[in-house]
Amino acid sequence: MAGGRFSLDLARPSRQHWLGYVLLTPAVLLIAAIIVYPLFVSIDLSFQNVGIARLDQPRRPFTLANYERLFSSPDFWNACWVTLKLILVVTSACCVLGLATALLVNNRFRGRSVARLLVAMPWAVPEVIAVVIFAWIFDSSFGLMNWVFLSLGFIDRTINWFSDPDAAFAVVATTMIWKGYPFVSIMSLAGLQSIPEDYYSAARVDGANALQRLRFITLPSLMPVIGVTTVLVMLWIFRDFSIIYVLTGGGPLKATQTLSIMTYEQAFSFFRMGYASAVGVVTLVICVVAAKLTMRRAPDTL
Amino acid sequence: MAAIVIDRVRKSYGALTVLKDFSLDIADGEFVVLVGPSGCGKSTMLKILAGLEAASAGTIRIGGRDVTDLAPGDRDIAMVFQNYALYPHLTVASNMGFGLKMRGTPADEIARRVGEAARILDVEHLLERRPRQLSGGQRQRVALGRAIVREPQAFLMDEPLSNLDAKLRVHMRAEIGALHQRLGVTTIYVTHDQIEAMTMANRIVIIKDGEIQQIADPETMFERPANQFVAGFIGSPGMNFLTARAEQGVAQLFGTSVPVPPGADGAITVGLRPEHIEAGDGPVTFVARPNLVESLGSEKYIYFAAPEDNRPPGFLTRSEEDRRGDRLIARLINSGPIRIGEPVTLSFDPARLHVFDPASGRAIR
Repeated sequence: MAGGRFSLDLARPSRQHWLGYVLLTPAVLLIAAIIVYPLFVSIDLSFQNVGIARLDQPRRPFTLANYERLFSSPDFWNACWVTLKLILVVTSACCVLGLATALLVNNRFRGRSVARLLVAMPWAVPEVIAVVIFAWIFDSSFGLMNWVFLSLGFIDRTINWFSDPDAAFAVVATTMIWKGYPFVSIMSLAGLQSIPEDYYSAARVDGANALQRLRFITLPSLMPVIGVTTVLVMLWIFRDFSIIYVLTGGGPLKATQTLSIMTYEQAFSFFRMGYASAVGVVTLVICVVAAKLTMRRAPDTL
Repeated sequence: MAAIVIDRVRKSYGALTVLKDFSLDIADGEFVVLVGPSGCGKSTMLKILAGLEAASAGTIRIGGRDVTDLAPGDRDIAMVFQNYALYPHLTVASNMGFGLKMRGTPADEIARRVGEAARILDVEHLLERRPRQLSGGQRQRVALGRAIVREPQAFLMDEPLSNLDAKLRVHMRAEIGALHQRLGVTTIYVTHDQIEAMTMANRIVIIKDGEIQQIADPETMFERPANQFVAGFIGSPGMNFLTARAEQGVAQLFGTSVPVPPGADGAITVGLRPEHIEAGDGPVTFVARPNLVESLGSEKYIYFAAPEDNRPPGFLTRSEEDRRGDRLIARLINSGPIRIGEPVTLSFDPARLHVFDPASGRAIR
């Protein structure tokens, strides 16, 4: 009934914004159901003394006990410290490695497409598979890494990677870097390709050497991309669970227990869901603040 | 400031040769324009001069120094790019001082020279801005400023005006000309626009398919083109070409016998510029029926068909559509009213004719 009195012609200019809302609705509902609602539930839970949360039970009385316990708990501060260490180490390593590989495969050479594929590959490997591979590489008895270190003469007896706190942290960090740098690579490569060739020509005529071209043209031009990418990598480390959980389970001696591992453990091992929700809420606040700070540092240049 | 010698430079990409034995001597302080249709190799030549591309063969000397194997930064030249290549993350002042900074010039010296260049180009008030806050013309000035603060041996300019609108282009053309007068630095300027070439150059180099067609000052280029390509490339609207037969120094043109140079015999191509056709009687007079009249106010372009015996070269090989549109152009100043389809008396002086060999295109004099 096109043009009929009661037909709803969403293509009419005066109704075009309706069409927009109609098309948005499914996504909004989905996000509301799987992100916004659980978020409010967990904020609510964090203010209650709840063991196992059940939606069919009445609310418990409001309490700040979870937060009081949290901020006075050494476990919480340890988890914060581990998370911070992991973020500093993994983010900086991912940035350096990602940028370096991007610069490498941005050059023209034979087999460039294959090289680009190889650089991006760790990103395509499913996280759990990658973790299992690394668990074997760092196995104390049969692992590749001990064999390589022994053969090269770095060590004279095998390292027990998962019982030494520092070694376990190193294993977790290495795995995360391997899994995380290709993302920086891919983003940087896209950024590199959008830098006009003329900038480099002009710089060469001006007498800038390769290092100066990197310092004064490539890096500043990439800053917006690197800024956003750093935030995304950071958030990924904040929320990543499977790598640490499968490799070390947060141990030994909580040396690799990040905030997300702690949240999981409190909720599903000790069944203190109110307390776990409080950890989750604090993590969320830290994430938002950290992302804001990082984004502000990236100058908007273009 | 320096003289530049380009000696038999060749450039090929695999089997494709884009420059064939390109030789050119440029005097100290000269303004030379390389001009030609796109893909003729003019930009490649400029990049080879700058050192951004390597020549396959040949040598380049700047100020007597062989720079063929030197890096761009060691050649002491400055280049202005079509898209200006201003760094978006640096201020205008930092952009202009970039080359000096790379060479380790002290900061106060950089500031002094940038200030001086900014004053010459009238961009002093823009020094703290970023390129994105500037208009096209201002960016163009800053790009020129970046070149002049270096005080180089030569300026290389790669179509620097093609991103500006028509009015600004005319303005900047004059400014670049004035800047050259003032600084006297050897300048090599690449463009596809013959008007830029004619108005700015001391000497023009016309290039086609990687080969120099003619090297001459603008006047000679216009009055005595070396071949049909040059004749057709220079001048706007372009030269009219007609066919004729020459016998014993005489050819029939518009039904009249006109003298041709003694070297011409048999089939010839005759060139006649639109501005050399006049309204009214003259040495060679004919009647034309305009099929299109364009009035530009001060002048009129009259389009009309060539006589049967003098069809333009290639006439029969064109498509039916093309042949119908085949037109000669006369550019008339101060003619009376002219209407489409009504006969009009036109004339020209046979001394103004250009005669070309139809096979090689070379001019016959």
